[in-house]
Parts: sequence; C-alpha cells; structure tokens
Amino acid sequence: MSSTGIGASVPRKEDRRHLHGQSTFVGDLKFPRMLDVAFVRSPVAHALIKTPEIDAEDRARVFTAVDVEAIAPIVADGTIPGYIRTAYPVMARDKANFVGQILAACLGSSRAEAEDVAERVFFDFDELPAIVDALAATDAAAPAIHPELTDNVFHRLELGEDFPDIRASAPVRLTRTYKLARQAIVPLEGRGVVALWDERANQLVVYSSTQSPHLIRNGLAEFLKLDQNRIRVVAPDVGGGFGYKAILHPEELILGFLAYKLKRPLRWLEDRREHLTAGANCREHIYNVTVYGDTQGQLLGLDAEVIVDAGAYSIWPHTCAFDAIQAAGILPGPYQLKNYRVVARTVATNKPPIQAYRAVARPGACFATELTIDALAREVKREAYLVRRENLVPVEAMPYRSVTGKLYDSGDYRQSLDIALGAIDLAGLRAEQQARLADGRPLLGVGFATYTEHTGVSTSVLAWMGTRLMPGHEQAAVRITPDGGVDIRTGVQSHGQGMETTLAQVASDVLGIDVDAIQVTHGDTALTPYSTGTYASRCMIMVGGAVADACDRLIGRMRMAAAHLMQRRPDELVFRDGAFHADAASMSVGEIAHIVYFAPAELPPDMDSAGLEVIGGYRPKTDTGAFAYSTHVAVLEIDRDFATVKLRDYVAVDDCGIQVNPMIVDGQILGGIVQGIGTALYEEVRYDESGQPQASTFADYLVPGCGDVPAIRLFKTETASPFTRFGIKGVGEGGAIAPPAAIVNAVNDALLPFGAEIGEVPASPARILRALQNVGLGPGFVAGGAS
Amino acid sequence: MIDIVLTINGERVEASIDPRLSLADFLREKLHLTGTHIGCEHGVCGACTIHLDGVSARSCITLAAACDGHDVKTIEGFEDDSTMSAIRTEFSREHALQCGYCSPGMLMTSYDLVTRFPGLDEADIRREMSGNLCRCTGYQGIVRALQNVYAMNQQQD
Repeated sequence: MSSTGIGASVPRKEDRRHLHGQSTFVGDLKFPRMLDVAFVRSPVAHALIKTPEIDAEDRARVFTAVDVEAIAPIVADGTIPGYIRTAYPVMARDKANFVGQILAACLGSSRAEAEDVAERVFFDFDELPAIVDALAATDAAAPAIHPELTDNVFHRLELGEDFPDIRASAPVRLTRTYKLARQAIVPLEGRGVVALWDERANQLVVYSSTQSPHLIRNGLAEFLKLDQNRIRVVAPDVGGGFGYKAILHPEELILGFLAYKLKRPLRWLEDRREHLTAGANCREHIYNVTVYGDTQGQLLGLDAEVIVDAGAYSIWPHTCAFDAIQAAGILPGPYQLKNYRVVARTVATNKPPIQAYRAVARPGACFATELTIDALAREVKREAYLVRRENLVPVEAMPYRSVTGKLYDSGDYRQSLDIALGAIDLAGLRAEQQARLADGRPLLGVGFATYTEHTGVSTSVLAWMGTRLMPGHEQAAVRITPDGGVDIRTGVQSHGQGMETTLAQVASDVLGIDVDAIQVTHGDTALTPYSTGTYASRCMIMVGGAVADACDRLIGRMRMAAAHLMQRRPDELVFRDGAFHADAASMSVGEIAHIVYFAPAELPPDMDSAGLEVIGGYRPKTDTGAFAYSTHVAVLEIDRDFATVKLRDYVAVDDCGIQVNPMIVDGQILGGIVQGIGTALYEEVRYDESGQPQASTFADYLVPGCGDVPAIRLFKTETASPFTRFGIKGVGEGGAIAPPAAIVNAVNDALLPFGAEIGEVPASPARILRALQNVGLGPGFVAGGAS
Repeated sequence: MIDIVLTINGERVEASIDPRLSLADFLREKLHLTGTHIGCEHGVCGACTIHLDGVSARSCITLAAACDGHDVKTIEGFEDDSTMSAIRTEFSREHALQCGYCSPGMLMTSYDLVTRFPGLDEADIRREMSGNLCRCTGYQGIVRALQNVYAMNQQQD
C-alpha cells in the first residue's frame, strides 16, 4: 500500500510555488496591449441618477450603463417557493441602490491612469431616503427598492406545525432577540478579472479569481448571450474565497463584454476599499426566538422568526434567499426537538448584496440556538453543558430525522461535548470565577457551543431548495500516463484547501501509486470536466468520490489487459500496491500502461480501445448529506474598565468522518475558528443612517491578527459517514460556525452575576457596556451606569 | 517622470518612473517581480512586505522614487539563502499556508524577526507577527513554524 493514501498527513504539493513567490494569481497575469479598468461607483445609497458628464477626451474610454445595455441584467432565478425575482443591472442607469454600485467603467494604461479618468467623470443625483435597517424596510411607509417587491421582501418562508398545547403548558418560556452584524468576507486576495478575446480559439477568455469557473462560464453565456463554447473561464491561483468568489459578479460580465467589444485585454483588480464597502457583505441576520422548556431545561418547543438583511440585490446563482432558507432548516441544531415553527424573511435594504460567507447561515443559526440553550440553562439554574447534553441527539438515535426533515447520518454528539468538557477544568474555572468576582480582577467566563453541519450539499436537498445550477453531482477525469503516473483533472477550484494534494491522496489510496507521481489540474473550463465549483464543504466528498470512481474503472480496464498478458482469468488477479498479482507473478500499472499505449498489438483485438483515461462521477446513493459535528469551548476574560474581551483558551472537538489528510483538516478547522473569532469579537461594517459604510479600511474593519487569538486546542474523533465513499464528511466551513456562539455564551457566563447579557456580535466593548447600562451598571461594573 | 537607480535582489536597476508609483507597483508592474503581493494598499495587511536596506517594510506605502540609491530585496531574492530555506521548510511542515497569498509577506517578516531578534518566545512571535494578516490558517501553523526555527537556531548556538 502506498503510504500517501487516505489518512496520511502528506505535505502539500501547493506549498513550493507559494513559498518561493512563484504562484500565479490573476493580478500576476500580463498580456500585450492590456488596459486597466477602474470603476466609478455610486457615492450615495439610494438616488435617481442624472445623465453623467464625461469630458470629450475621455469619451472613448468611459463606459456607462447605456454603453453596456447589451448585457442582460443578472436575474437570480429558481423555483424557491415564495421567492420574487428581481433584476440586478451590471451598471446602475436610472437609480442607484447602494453605495459602491457600479456607474461606469474607465480604462487606462495603468490602474492609476484609469482612476484619473474615473475622477473626471461627474454624476449628479436626486437622493431618495435610504433604507439601512431591515426592520424599517418592511414598514409600509418605507420607499420601494424594487417595484416587484411588496414591503421590500424578497422572500418569505414558513415552516413547521403550530404547537398550541406546548405553548399553553410549558413551565418555562423565554424570548430573546439575536443579531449578527453585517460583515465583510476578506480573502486576502480581493477579486480580480482579466478578460481577452482569443482570435485563434474564437473564444472570450476570462481569467477570474473564482471558486467556480464552470459556473461563471454558465453565467457569462447567459447574460452576455453567447454560446457556452465561445467562452473559456480560467481560475489561476486564487487567494482565498470563503464564498465571495463562488458567485457571478457584475465585474466579470462588464470586463468580458468590453474585452469582446474592444478586442483588447482588460484587467480589473478589486482594491480593499471596493472589497469592504461594495463587494463582500455578509452575515447580517436577526433572530427573534421563543423557547419552551421544562424545569430541567428540556426543549419542548421553539418558535422563531428569522430576518435576513439581503441588501439591494439577489446574487446569482444561489439567490439572496439562501441564508434564510438555510437558517430556517437548521435552527433546531443537533437537538431532539419535536415542536418547531419558523417564519423567515429576506429583506431588501440600500446596502451591497448579501453573499454566502463560509458556512453561510450556520454561524447565525448556531448563535441563536446555542445562546437560547444557555439562556434556558440560566433560567432553570443549571450548568449549560448539562442542559445541552441532555437535549443532544443520542448516538442510539442515529440516523436521526430532525424536525425539519434532515437526516443526521451518524455521530456521537454527547461524546463530542464530553471530550470538550474533559479538556477544560470546569470546577477549577468556576472557583477562579468566584475568586475574581471578589477580588476585582478581570471577569472570567466559560462558554460552550455544539453544532451539526450538513456537508457536501446533495442533489435531493438542492432540488428541494429550488436553487438553480447547483445540481450537487460531480465528475473527475483520471488518466494513467504511459509511464505509470496519474493525471487528475477536476472542474472545482482549489484555493487553499490543498486539493492538489488531497485528491492525489484519494487516487493514491485506490491505485497504490505515490502522490509524487500524481498531478492534479483544476480551475480551467477548457481542461476539466464540468463542475459547479468549490463551496458547501463538498469537494472532498464529491470530487474525492468521483476520482475514486474513475480510478476503479481504470483498474477494471487494466485488469482485462493484465489478465491477458499474465494468462490468468481476470478474477484471479489481486490488485494491490499499484500492481496486479497472481501467485508470485505481478504486473505494475506502469508496465500495463506502456503496453496499452505503445504495444496494443500484444492485446486481444476485442480489448476495450478507450485507453487509460476515464471520467468518473459521484453522487452518494443516499444523498441526504453527511453531517459533521463539533463542540467548541471558549474561556475568556473581560476587562472591568474597558469591557475588552481576551480569549484565554479555545477548544474544538471535531468529527468530520474519515480524514483524508489530518494536517489539512486541522488547518481548515483552525482557519475557520479564527474567522469565527472575527465574527464574534471584531468584524463589523457599520452604516450610517444615509447608507454610508463606516468601515472602508483595515484600520476600521478589524480582522483578527496573530496576537488576538490564543493557541487553539483541537481534538478529533472519526465517525465514518455511512453514506459517502470512504466515510468522508466535509470540513471546510465548520470551524467558522461555533465561535460566535461559544464566545458570547462565555461573555454571558461572565456577566451572569451582574444580571446582564448580550445577544449580538461582534461582542464589542460598546455592546458589553450597553448591556451593563441596561442593568444600571457602568464601567468597572459598579452601580451608576444607567443614564 | 524621475530617474532612479537602486539595487533589487543584488542587481543594479535603473528606471524612469512616475513620481507617484509605489514600490509594490514598480516591482510588480515594471519588473514583473510578482511574488510581492498586494492585499490592502494602506500598509496594514503586510502581504507586500519587502526588505528595504535589510529591514522589513511595506512596499505598498513606499514610493519607488524614495528608494533611489537604496537596497531592496523581495521574496524572489532568497533562492540561495539557508535561513529562508529553513523558514520555508518549517512553513510547509507546520501547514503555515493555505491559499498562499499572504505567504511571501509572512516569510519576509519572519526572516527579519529570525535574523534580527533572537530568542523570541510564542507570545513575542504572536506580537511581532501581528502586522501580517492571514485569513486562512488561523496563524497557528505560522507561529509553530517560527517556534521551530527559533528552537533550531538555539540548538546551533
């Protein structure tokens, strides 16, 4: 057996080029006669646009909405019940709906020159009242952002049966409101597009920093009204995505159209200000939750309202309703809950379109559910981990059908919590907490959060959700090279996940060939099988399954050749360690490949002539999903004067099924956790009442730095999914789900003696001080704070 | 346009440039040294870190014109450097990179720390590396990689 198969922490093939400064990101590409593009973006959030004034000398290099009217507006379609379609024009013509919306594209021989041109273009506006608050948006008096919508509601969803008996009889009833701030996604590389017309191929070639090259090709064809084979999309090295790069953006269409029209290579590289203010908004949810429980904290029922502030437009393809649909389906969490009702609304405001950031709605839903569990525990005066544990789905109940119909496939959720509890000294922390309360040192808090995550989005679930162009299947091409090596080609894009290594590990596992002899090519529609791309923690399950299937088929083909050459029946041959064996005789993949490619005369004439290259595919037989799960614990201190939070310890106990590369799994979890810490404590794009974004640089948008996070302690269990090849579950997004919940539960644990609690992230000093003010306390946690 | 003469990765470079051109754009656009990455263009994220006269600096907020007569070193200039080679090995071993976009800047700052500030512990490393943002790794691998390099250097002393 090759030692580089599934389960080995193989060093990454990707590392060398990155560590030597030799990677190729979109911004590193150069083409003769290439021009740079700078966009004029709306400086106002809601306004009627007057005819722009453009200097005569600039007229040939400025393009406004009328110049690009051949590009169809982006319409995120779908069969989602209750969803109303709206149009997103790639440039605003008559009305601007958010600060940052594109008004004009300006060309120059450098970005600086393009920006000089953009400076000279003058737009005048008749300003309209801006809607910046999702609750105010649905007010009958609020101005309409889209004429198609009633009360600015893009989508409304109601799930669940009423439970009047529980409502009447439950001994405990609590109501809470939770809010997650609008956030930016912030991959370290912003987006970038280089578009050019390739006369030789008769194709528009679009290099884009995207997670989903084939999907972008679909979108370019649809809205540029070109045949798909007139378009090639290439994603070179991509500097992080986290969902921001999984969708079609107006810039891709504009650059593609202008490059086609002008027959000149064009480049646009998003700058950080564009990213923070116009591009990558996400996460803004409000939850109104009423929980019904017994006197021990057993969950009896949950009533929830979800409001998602979607901003001004619906993104393509998964629509703006994606967050709310997901949140509504997963609020019951990993718990045994029989009675659940939810109303979810996705609301338009004059802010940039909301996008699906790592784990999409799960951090919000987990935040609402886990804060509710802790509130219930406080109400019945029990330790939160006990109430949590008793409500978790027990291992004996697996597979478990949740109240919203999801089938939790496998796992011991209570064990996950027990391991987390064992990793900290809760009794010691409780004693220290009391001592600190008395002696005036910073307050101490401990918080838990447990979640289960539907990974590897599946065909049947996506069909139910009605999102177009997300079919949930996958193919991969695998070729045995004439010298016995392996080429893998996949339509997904690897931008940090290490799939050039892990997909090679899957092939290594099946074929018994070392990963050094296996090459993975990805991210180019001209070279790879179709794929909807990298998102939803799907690639290791789906592409891994497809690679394994292709390898199986290749072994089948090679077996026929080997049987003939070794003069045995095919079923007499055993395939292991990259060779077919029969008694003492053996024949390696390389020897067979050499004959298949170069000496086919030695094979019988009826031998399959298709060679040693196949496209394998994968769709799990039971495609209801593989549910990964985890428990996080945060231990933190709160400064009494400044209400700053310092993380002292952070523990995560993860189960993502069978791990292909444990080192990479750790990396995915750790990276996700630190992004979650950002959501929990630091990251926020605030808007003033006129819709102006208040965070436009890294000086006012705080991303966690190396010094802001503690050394995180990881624990893992491995419960194979019964439904996927190799028992793999997804892990790409999970880390980001629980930190807001675990951290705010810890903050509230520290605040408990003062009767204060918060229900919002980021848990900034201002929010904690406001919670204290609400109970009549001021800085120093002393009386007199109420004003 | 103004004329400058400077040393880049040990080679003398003469250029006639726009006075407003940043060092990062000069390296990337004029010299095609694209290992220096741009992440924020306001001096916070550290992706563009280079060495100016042997000390780490932000090339996005350094004007190329101000480097006239100075010595600039980029990630491409360390192919034969044993210290950088050791840092690279530990970065790979500890999975200190995912997408790789921040990595050149991380390596340039790491090199500056390791060569100028011996004996840093974990807390020191976390503080000193806080001027380089990484969105993928959660920093743990980066800190461990540097701890390993420090431990190896200590053994050699």
